[in-house]
Amino acid sequence: MIFLPFAIGWIAAVVLFALDGTRRWVGWLALVAILGMFGAAVALLVQVADGQEPAIVVGGWPAGLGIRLRADWLGVGFAVPVLGIIAALLCIENLRGGLRTRIGPALTVLISLGLTGVFLTGDVFNFYVFFELSMGSAFAITALASRGRHVRVAATFMVANIFGSVLFLIGVGGLYHATGSLDMPIVSARLGADPAGTPLLVASLLLAAFLLKLGIFPFHFWVPPVYSETRAPAAALLAGALANIGSYGLLRFGGEVMPDALRTGRVVLLAIGAATILVGSVLAISRQPVAEILAYSSVAQNGYILLALGMGGYAGFAAAYVYAIVNSIAKALLFSTTGARGPLVGGAFLVGAMSTAGLPPALGFVGKLALFRAAWSEREVWLVAWIVAGALLAFFYMFQAFQQRFWMVEEHERSSRSVRVGLGVFALAALALGVWPEPLLGTGSRIALLLAGGQP
Amino acid sequence: MNLALSLGVAILFGAGIRLMLGRDLVRIAAGTLLISNAANLFLMSAGTAEGLAPAQGPTNSDPLVQTLVLTSLVITFGFTALLFSILQAIYRAWKTLDTREIERRGRGG
Repeated sequence: MIFLPFAIGWIAAVVLFALDGTRRWVGWLALVAILGMFGAAVALLVQVADGQEPAIVVGGWPAGLGIRLRADWLGVGFAVPVLGIIAALLCIENLRGGLRTRIGPALTVLISLGLTGVFLTGDVFNFYVFFELSMGSAFAITALASRGRHVRVAATFMVANIFGSVLFLIGVGGLYHATGSLDMPIVSARLGADPAGTPLLVASLLLAAFLLKLGIFPFHFWVPPVYSETRAPAAALLAGALANIGSYGLLRFGGEVMPDALRTGRVVLLAIGAATILVGSVLAISRQPVAEILAYSSVAQNGYILLALGMGGYAGFAAAYVYAIVNSIAKALLFSTTGARGPLVGGAFLVGAMSTAGLPPALGFVGKLALFRAAWSEREVWLVAWIVAGALLAFFYMFQAFQQRFWMVEEHERSSRSVRVGLGVFALAALALGVWPEPLLGTGSRIALLLAGGQP
Repeated sequence: MNLALSLGVAILFGAGIRLMLGRDLVRIAAGTLLISNAANLFLMSAGTAEGLAPAQGPTNSDPLVQTLVLTSLVITFGFTALLFSILQAIYRAWKTLDTREIERRGRGG
């Protein structure tokens, strides 16, 4: 059962590489494949909700020796929404007229496959391999999507992220050196018994690697040029889907594999998160082009995930998950509206803007509320104040962007009606999840139970 | 992890970072290649026992890390090829690979 998303993804990617991606039907074929993977992930979610633990050790090796794939709440909790976001983005892009590059559809399927692998693997090195699979496809997509002279940002993106991968690989080497295993539960158990400084050293390496992927201050330097100079659909894919590697990695490695290191680094996480929110928001306010405002806004928004992780415990982990997903949906929506014009686009942007500012009934309100609750239950007054201040700044820069993009310009051209309707439906779906957030909150509390082991 | 390997990792990593801090994109790409290989060598050193051949047995080297390094070498190789093809596209668009020059012209319009 658990191999199903991988089987669909691999076969589809190989077939799609052989086809000409500039033809429209190839783009729709890629969408069918990603929807198939999405369906398989939903089936896994149903199994997990039933109390089963779908798992397989590849190659028939005994557990602990071979590479283990397994689905738990944290894994499927990320896989289902992320595959859904990729499917929505690809659908809008197909409505716009296809990806217009020969290997675009195949690369999109490979990104989905890599992300699914990252979410479902139980092996530290296998995590690295899948992570590089999706990063490599993302490098290629960025290079293809940044036209003409903008191609320089592809080099920035690639060099910065290879550096992050190197840090991660050194961390993996350190974990294997210290524990003699690559299986996450075994690594976690053996690290717990190790009183020396090794876990902390490895944890700092992994933390730096994931902060770089997420684009958190002081590693945010690569985010603004890359997000603002690539074409809108690619930027939406990077900000809405790929950045989840960072938030998932922080939850998986910080929450499950190295909980002691996470507790030790609490102050560091809170400080970096708070600084990121401040720096990202202030820079977003000072920028003019909408794409740059959005880029700095995604830097600032990811800071909240770090705050939630730093708070830790049941409420903190639940808030980190809810915020990561909410933010991905909002960013995917916002970046894809920057590539379209005409009626309905403004409405879709407004839903994304309200979500970023944390206004009800948009989805972002749920995320901010979860965070607020976590900070309140910790009795951390300055954190509560910081979250409110960040939300006010977000309100300011998002509506500045809205005003600039939709009120101050005369619009002469319009995108095709199907693209606008597609964006409208995406925005409505995001709004519906904001009005009825039960599935998201429920998953968040299951994940928090899994990681913190505490009581709700 | 013996002294020779540690020194090798240190020199590769240091030289790679030194190159990455420069202005020329070819040097930056070479630097990323060096630090990637420093990480591979570090991974390799996680399972060496006095440089004996990898095989089963208590005193011999761990074969698992060698397969891991093989995988990550392939990834490094693929990424290097992709990075140099992106550099070629940059050169075609800008006629230079000097980052400061690109930055200056990008600001000029």
